[in-house]
Amino acid sequence: MQHARNEPVIEAEGLEKYYGTVHAVRGVSFTIPAGTCVGLLGPNGAGKTTTMRMIMGLSRPSAGRLRLFGAAPGALGRDLRSRIGLVPQEDNLDPDLSVRQNLEVYGRYFGIPAAEISERVPKLLEFMQLAERAEARVMQLSGGMKRRLIIARALIADPELVILDEPTTGLDPQARVLIWRRLLDLKRQGKTLLLTTHYMDEAQRLCDRIIIIDGGRVLDEGTPQDLIGRHVRGHVFEVMKPLPPGFDDDGIEREDIGDAVLYYTTDPTELRRRLPDEATYMHRTANLEDVFLRLTGRSLREGS
Amino acid sequence: MRAAIIPALTRYTYAVWHRHTLVWRRLIWSSLTSNVIDPLIFLFAFGYGLGAIVDRIGGMDYLTFVVPGLMAHAIMFTASFEATISAYARFHLQRTWDAILATPVTLTELMSGEMLWAATKGMISTTCVLTVGWLWGGVPDPAGALLALPVLALGGICFASCALAATAHAKTWEFFAYFFTFWVTPMFVFSGVFFEVTRFPGFVQALAWFLPMTHLIAVVRPLTVGIPLDTWAALVHIAYLAALAAAAFALARRRFGRRMFD
Repeated sequence: MQHARNEPVIEAEGLEKYYGTVHAVRGVSFTIPAGTCVGLLGPNGAGKTTTMRMIMGLSRPSAGRLRLFGAAPGALGRDLRSRIGLVPQEDNLDPDLSVRQNLEVYGRYFGIPAAEISERVPKLLEFMQLAERAEARVMQLSGGMKRRLIIARALIADPELVILDEPTTGLDPQARVLIWRRLLDLKRQGKTLLLTTHYMDEAQRLCDRIIIIDGGRVLDEGTPQDLIGRHVRGHVFEVMKPLPPGFDDDGIEREDIGDAVLYYTTDPTELRRRLPDEATYMHRTANLEDVFLRLTGRSLREGS
Repeated sequence: MRAAIIPALTRYTYAVWHRHTLVWRRLIWSSLTSNVIDPLIFLFAFGYGLGAIVDRIGGMDYLTFVVPGLMAHAIMFTASFEATISAYARFHLQRTWDAILATPVTLTELMSGEMLWAATKGMISTTCVLTVGWLWGGVPDPAGALLALPVLALGGICFASCALAATAHAKTWEFFAYFFTFWVTPMFVFSGVFFEVTRFPGFVQALAWFLPMTHLIAVVRPLTVGIPLDTWAALVHIAYLAALAAAAFALARRRFGRRMFD
């Protein structure tokens, strides 16, 4: 039973979480409609993992309301969890089992009948390009293969919602591209994806909507284009210091980043006209990374 | 959440148990070999060593005395090891538990699967000891020995539950040194595996009766030897094992609940 399109799969309203005196999540609200891919972006310690743990029913919100598929996950209901596939950040594949067994055993955890499991496993191995390694032990797999197996494992029960916590961290470009293609396939199949990542190109490529959180709060959300337009115009000029004399930067949005100043504009011709010939600068199209850094600041985070 | 502290028997529990059997089957020959060779070494050493000095004990020859003790020891050691060192590896090192809790399997079912597997593995060991001991001529009452098996299974459930309660409190591997020193070793030496509990001074005997192993051996030995067993005394021993198992499992469930969820 597929959830009706555009009906919210996840509704979070004013979620809060205290760990002792630490206020990790401070009123997070968002809605994730069915069939969309939403990126949850934020620096380390922003509250992403806690939010995901609450969605998985592993963490109880201190306040606020959370609904999954229209129901409250508070009681850790079995039927709710059987509709979610989780791709965790850490590798928690079963090292005592083969690639194929990892999928088979996981299918049993979902209560799927054995006949159905043996039908699904070869298809999933094929889908994630692991068919040749079916009998290999997990320890013999490369990092990229492990990630693919973890994704295949999350799909064993044909979930409506797939939660991916940094699915491509530490992978080489080839492995990342393969995973992106597969995630786009999943989107096409109508699955709802919730993704965290530190790679802004990944978020821009995969996500219909982006939620940027920091300090336990939602800073902004929207489509990647909305966010770029709203926060960094469309073009960035990185002008090296010292700024050339006679540069008239009146009325242009700017951000001082130490050894250079960033200018954000919708009209690159106009700005280029204003810049004196001796200015050293770099001009590029604004991207999600600019938005992210602008909203969450440029200082290093603890644990980064 | 009162119901959650009682072990659960569902197909999800079975899924966890089944996972362990798959891993065991991969290593079947090495585990079975040690299951058979270990008691052979014990029987050889104690049969010839101690048996030569100890002519008769409790009205029977030493071999007959020591076989039920070794059967109880096999399940105690195997179940305790599996639900501590091995379970802790899956919980802490391999994060297998995290992966399982992201599925419809509940924590109670996961723990029940672990506990029942540890007891199962203990039963495999104890059955090997029984077979070897019987072939060696140390089991005068084979029918009684078969009757002892369900009691040993209950013992396995009790040892596994106690071990899980320890694992639930473990923060480092070193913690298990205490568990083995203050729990497993005393059951090895004070509970009547190699000689009768009555040989100890009164206060040691009193302490020995706190250990589930003492109660288990008190039921198993008369059965394999074929001497009369007082029904009421047997029921008290069995009740003690069941009560301790239930309390330990509930304690483990509470503690793991706090560690896995927040």
